Amino acid sequence: MTPNKHLDEMTLLLYVERQLDRERAQEVSLHTQTCTRCLTLLRALDRESRLLTRAMLEQDEPFPARLAEFRGAVKRSMQWIWGLVFGLAVLGVYTLYASYIEPWELQLEQAGFGSTNLLSLMVFQGAFWKGWQSMFTLFEVLALAVLAGSAAFAFRKYIRRGSALAMVFASLGLLLATTPAASASEFRKGESVSVAKGENIIGDVFITGDHVRVDGTVDGDVFAFGHQLDVAGHVTGDVFCFAQGTRITGRVDGNIRAFTNNITISGDIGRNVLSFNEVLNLDPNGKIGHSLTVFGQTITLDGRTGRDVVAFFDQITLSGTIGGSLQGKGKSLTISPTAEIDGKAEFEGAKPATVSPGAKLASPLQFTKHQPHANYERGVGYYIWRLIWTAAFVLLGLVIYGLFPRFAVDTVEAGEHYGAAFGLGVLVTFGLPIAAIIACVTIVGLLLGLSTLFLYVIVLLCTGIVVGTIVGQWLLGRTTDYWPLVARMALGVLLVRLVTSIPFIGFWATLAVVLWGMGAISLAVYRRLQPVVAPNIPSVPTGPVGSPLPPNTTVGGI
Amino acid sequence: MSAPGKTEPTDLVVRARTGDAEAWGDLYREFAPAIFRFCRRAMPTHEDAEDATMEIFMKLRDKLSQFDHTRSFSAWLYKVAANHCWDILRRRKGRQNKETENVDDIPLEHPDPNQLERLIEERSNEEVRKALGKLGVRARMALVMRYYSDMSYDEIADALGVQRAFVGVVLLRARHELRQVLGENSALAVGGTR
Repeated sequence: MTPNKHLDEMTLLLYVERQLDRERAQEVSLHTQTCTRCLTLLRALDRESRLLTRAMLEQDEPFPARLAEFRGAVKRSMQWIWGLVFGLAVLGVYTLYASYIEPWELQLEQAGFGSTNLLSLMVFQGAFWKGWQSMFTLFEVLALAVLAGSAAFAFRKYIRRGSALAMVFASLGLLLATTPAASASEFRKGESVSVAKGENIIGDVFITGDHVRVDGTVDGDVFAFGHQLDVAGHVTGDVFCFAQGTRITGRVDGNIRAFTNNITISGDIGRNVLSFNEVLNLDPNGKIGHSLTVFGQTITLDGRTGRDVVAFFDQITLSGTIGGSLQGKGKSLTISPTAEIDGKAEFEGAKPATVSPGAKLASPLQFTKHQPHANYERGVGYYIWRLIWTAAFVLLGLVIYGLFPRFAVDTVEAGEHYGAAFGLGVLVTFGLPIAAIIACVTIVGLLLGLSTLFLYVIVLLCTGIVVGTIVGQWLLGRTTDYWPLVARMALGVLLVRLVTSIPFIGFWATLAVVLWGMGAISLAVYRRLQPVVAPNIPSVPTGPVGSPLPPNTTVGGI
Repeated sequence: MSAPGKTEPTDLVVRARTGDAEAWGDLYREFAPAIFRFCRRAMPTHEDAEDATMEIFMKLRDKLSQFDHTRSFSAWLYKVAANHCWDILRRRKGRQNKETENVDDIPLEHPDPNQLERLIEERSNEEVRKALGKLGVRARMALVMRYYSDMSYDEIADALGVQRAFVGVVLLRARHELRQVLGENSALAVGGTR
């Protein structure tokens, strides 16, 4: 080996690592005493080793609280107990619902608080969701999810993440799986299919055919797909129909969900009707026990609707009775002399409704002239207000960043985990208000529910500030100092507000901002709630041999 | 791999082997933080590291009777940890079908010593840790075994399932990979001449 021929990196690394035999090591040592280049590389490799060791040994995060104590035994033996716990929780929630929530609903209804507005119609009476699961309501599923999530969160230290999730899903799966198991489903298919008169089917029935008739009794739900559907018999559950024409002359104890060209109801519907159609006729003999929600072109209501009617239409003619309120939006509304509305009547349209003097209305019809969409007619005033609001948001951001500087930085950092932030954002944005509304149902939860909703609104307002700051940091670079951060926030908020002002795109941009910002804030809050260091656990590896050892990287003689 | 000047937890291990729950608890509390940090460096996510730590100690408890008390406990512990982490990573690698190309055939560029010095000079511990997370699993595992837990070349060869003579190559390639990641955001080009 001559001084002119440089050593290769592998040899130098093995020398640094003390992996060369004595003779070869001496050669390397001699060479590096005379070759500056190889000596520099040798030193660099040595320093690299030290840097690696230092970087790896450095304490950069606390020891997780979940690992504070050895849980192996617990993990192994408690699996079945968790299954039992969640099973009981499911039972508990159902009992809670059956014992408290449902009677409350009935009491509220008897007290006159039911059927009063769109929210109660859609959420509390379940115009949309009631009946999609044959036994379990949305309340129960949501309550269960909230309960299971809370349990998993509360006991996260003691259970492994995978097991916890498995338990939650297993319980939910069991819950959902046992529901249809209670009754067998029947499938019928053909050109002309029917449930004959006198026939009695126990369980759900799925019928597909050109002409579908139900003349007999179905003790369950009916799912019908066909050209024409006639229900002249008795269905104790719900009817889901996807047909060109639907005629209900018999009795349906549950709900009707109709996606049809035209539907005529001459029979008796026990609960709600939700229909997407061109033509809907509620014949004089027809009766809907609860509410009617309809999206259609031509609607004629000659029969009786027990509770509210929410309708979106081209034209509607009302000759029958509405036990609750009427909320309509469309082109024209005609109220005949025989019509009766026991609740509030509201109509938004291009021209005032034609109300016959003989019609019985609990209160005068409130008419709102339909305003063209604001997006298409934006004047200077609109933009001035946008500017004022932008300034207000910047001011709000200034205050929030001043009051909670650390949290602000954490939130922005959390927002940069795009996937997690968006995912959590979707969950919290839609889940939190529902959970809060559920909490409001009980007196105990009322305060909690209202506080949550209040907080939710504040957080909603802050989403633009968070996203604005992230955008500002993209443009001007990262910082954690107050004023530079505020400057980035101001620039970002301005840009965000600009983008959300663009017609058509604006709505989706706003939604994205809300989801992203909500997720970022939620993630930051979640991280704050995480325990930092487990008690009695040393923060550095202080044990006599617990600490990893630095490698033998000392290069002798250099 | 032993700790000169430091005592082995011989008594604790002996007691734990006889089923002494208190001794086992002490042993766990003493070593769990270091093993967690090892896993944190070797595994891609925090959650993976937590899970791996728990699993390693469960495995350890089952294997404690097999421990030869004439050897270093910490060395044995790190070996168990390394084997466990590598098993997980290798299974995942197989599933994800990543890193299938034979990187060992790619010739290494000879670094410019001055540029390498500058690169090392300018990089913080945090940057190195982040870069470590971007390495291929074998490269990361090799570096962690060598520079975190100070495992010998024999032990690394055993854990990774390669020949001992090949360990140096694995480590050198891992370093090159690391330099490349570290240099990505830098004007420095570490690879100089071939």
